[in-house]
Amino acid sequence: MDARLRRVNKEIADCKNDKTSNIQIELIDENPFHLKGSFPGPEGTPYQGGHFEVDIVIPESYPFQPVKMKFLTKVYHPNVSSASGAICLDILKDAWSPVLTLKSTLISLQSLLCSPEPNDPQDAEVAKHYTTSKNSFDETATYWTQIYAGGPGAKEKKGKSAASKAEARDEVAIAGLEKAHVDQFEALGFPRSKVIDVLRRLNYRGANVAKLTDDRVVEELLK
Amino acid sequence: MASDYEFSDSDGDYDDDEDMIDGTQDETGESEDDMDMDAFGDDFKVVPKGKRKSFEIEYESLSQSDVEKLMKKDVEDIVGILGVDESTANLLLRHMSWNTERLIEKYMDNPTKVLVAAGVTVEEPPSSPAPIRSHSIPNSATIGTSQSGRRPTRSSSKLLGSKSPSALKSSSTVSPTSTTRLSPRATDLPTPFVCPICFDDAPTLRPLSLTCSHPFCSGCWTAYISSKITDEAEHAIRCMAEGCALVATDTFIHDLLTASDVDPEEAKVNEETWARFQELLIRHFVASNPNLKYCPYPACTNTVSCPAAASKASLTSVVPIVSCGARGIPGAAQASGSGGNLGLPGKEHKFCFGCPIESDHRPVVCAAARLWLKKCRDDSETANWIKSNTKECSMCMSTIEKNGGCNHMTCKKCKHEFCWVCMGPWSEHGTAWYSCNRYDEKAGVEARDAQSRSRASLERYLHYYNRWANHEQSAKLSLDLYAKTEKKMEDMQITSELTWIEVQFMKKAVEEVDKCRMTLKWTYAMAYYLAKGNEKDLFEDNQRDLEKAVEDLSELLESPIEAENIPMLRQKVTDKTVYVQKRNEIVLEDTAAGFLEGRWKWNVAIDGFDDPEKTEF
Repeated sequence: MDARLRRVNKEIADCKNDKTSNIQIELIDENPFHLKGSFPGPEGTPYQGGHFEVDIVIPESYPFQPVKMKFLTKVYHPNVSSASGAICLDILKDAWSPVLTLKSTLISLQSLLCSPEPNDPQDAEVAKHYTTSKNSFDETATYWTQIYAGGPGAKEKKGKSAASKAEARDEVAIAGLEKAHVDQFEALGFPRSKVIDVLRRLNYRGANVAKLTDDRVVEELLK
Repeated sequence: MASDYEFSDSDGDYDDDEDMIDGTQDETGESEDDMDMDAFGDDFKVVPKGKRKSFEIEYESLSQSDVEKLMKKDVEDIVGILGVDESTANLLLRHMSWNTERLIEKYMDNPTKVLVAAGVTVEEPPSSPAPIRSHSIPNSATIGTSQSGRRPTRSSSKLLGSKSPSALKSSSTVSPTSTTRLSPRATDLPTPFVCPICFDDAPTLRPLSLTCSHPFCSGCWTAYISSKITDEAEHAIRCMAEGCALVATDTFIHDLLTASDVDPEEAKVNEETWARFQELLIRHFVASNPNLKYCPYPACTNTVSCPAAASKASLTSVVPIVSCGARGIPGAAQASGSGGNLGLPGKEHKFCFGCPIESDHRPVVCAAARLWLKKCRDDSETANWIKSNTKECSMCMSTIEKNGGCNHMTCKKCKHEFCWVCMGPWSEHGTAWYSCNRYDEKAGVEARDAQSRSRASLERYLHYYNRWANHEQSAKLSLDLYAKTEKKMEDMQITSELTWIEVQFMKKAVEEVDKCRMTLKWTYAMAYYLAKGNEKDLFEDNQRDLEKAVEDLSELLESPIEAENIPMLRQKVTDKTVYVQKRNEIVLEDTAAGFLEGRWKWNVAIDGFDDPEKTEF
């Protein structure tokens, strides 16, 4: 049997037998080299309670070349692209070693969620948010976990408020901004989506709010 | 010759050596071409250079094995000085990019640190057991301890075998052991070995490890090493264990890639991988040394050594065109060469040592040649054309090209009527059609000046560019010319009494024309950037003489062959070839001398030269 196939089969079986790690690997279709992995968000982090799915592509020369992984679930994290789910992690690149397995790599991803590396960011905007205002970042990451990763509190919210109202609240929270700030500039007559976009780009959060003058924001809005 | 070669400039041996060669080979300059031909087919044998002309740079072409000898010499030096074994010296030198002095300095400072950084030894003291990973096989610990238990014996025997007491002293802090070792045979292991990568547990499996004692099966090692070499072009191959920084030695890699227990097809692939690995090592060595450059031609493995052009500053006075000694593309050229009776070899691998241009760009220096190529590629000339040939409608600003007719223009778009000369509205011109009476107005004069300047600049560029492109096109057609000449030479042998050797003058003439067209091509790039003055006039005179001679010779080569005038044609062509050759040398020599004297003045700022005093064309 092909060595790569044997190894992947063994890895999937190992993962099934291991009840303690909570890591799951499943087939997407018949192809054993395109898999979906998932793990729970680590305790004591904004990702707690969420269920994170990862797209796994096993290259031809696996295990001698690293697997290709990206988040399918949207994650608010400095080392994960908020748009594409691409992951910035050394073991997925030059620090890869053939003794690493799918399971150990997924565990590494889980621990990446515990310890972000904002100095080597994949998503610069998220990293800026993280470094300027950790509290606000945590709030946004928790919110993303709720709405995208099925975290706690998501269900109650959906049931409670009217759909349209929830959506408006969503956009501001997803961008990690204060509702009051968005309302303030929207009142000047700019479209809400544009205000959110510009404030997010300028990192209009925490201590940065004092540094950015209203004129500067309006200037950006007028561009 | 190659083995005597020294890198350091302070060493006088090399220069003496070269002088001697120059002296003895003065007479052989004429037969250089033939020698090249002989060398061709002989697996890219290095051709000794004949007499060096003033416009040629001193260089030496080295084959792969010559470079290997240079590497070996460096390694032996390190072995002698640091008292380490050969594979350790290899890894240390590669880690330090072959900078011997810095390596010795750092090693004397802190040998442990250097050895760890180079991947020769692991960070932990050798007596500690190998790190055990959570998912590692149960018996890995036993293997680890059994191996580390052996190591002290090996180390001490190594120390006793050291070359000198001083070496013994320097190496006593860390004993550089050979990292190559096959781990115990499978029978030594208490339980069956399971490879932690492929999870195979067949009893025939051969576990191997570096000195870090991380065992993996030979199949995984081979696959891993092949993947690193062919996919990543990596020559420092680390142990497969996570976080282990130990680098596999050449012997370890060689043993794996030449293992005999694989099927023939795989053995062949492994052999290629090993060759590729050696090439990677050589490329790394060449890239680390500013005196060396790898031949850029596809599949060519030669290297050129040119210490005279190693520094950037030297590129303002010399044009370091070198040739690696090989011809054509290996394989392909050989086939075509043996086909025709002419035995035309492929083109020489000529390239510039100082810049990435893969052809002979003499007489222009690298910086100017690059500037010219960039200008030719740039779209800015299109804009220049639009500026020179069109005007904008003063009403709707559409771009208008006047392609004939009178000065009474009507804009197609906005129907604005205006005068092409003064750009004013036509209604103000009254009945003075065909001549603009507002001709002398200041604004009009300025607009015209601006336009004519732009037009003059474009025309000037096009003048040089057309001639440049013409020669380039001719050079491209030279392959056809070679084929045609070959045919003619055959005809000549049939219709006249001339033998094969006697019709070779045709081939020589074609080669000369080709070479001169290359020179001519670049003289136009040079002339474009030369500042106006006597020097430029002289340059252009030389250029004109060469161009005329080349065109005459080309015409002769194209002329039909009639049996009765062959002797005369032969005489003419031979004479003309010599003349053309002479003229080409004059151009090249004069330009090269000019660079050395700093005689050439440019009309634009060129890297490494003083800025021009005035930018007037």
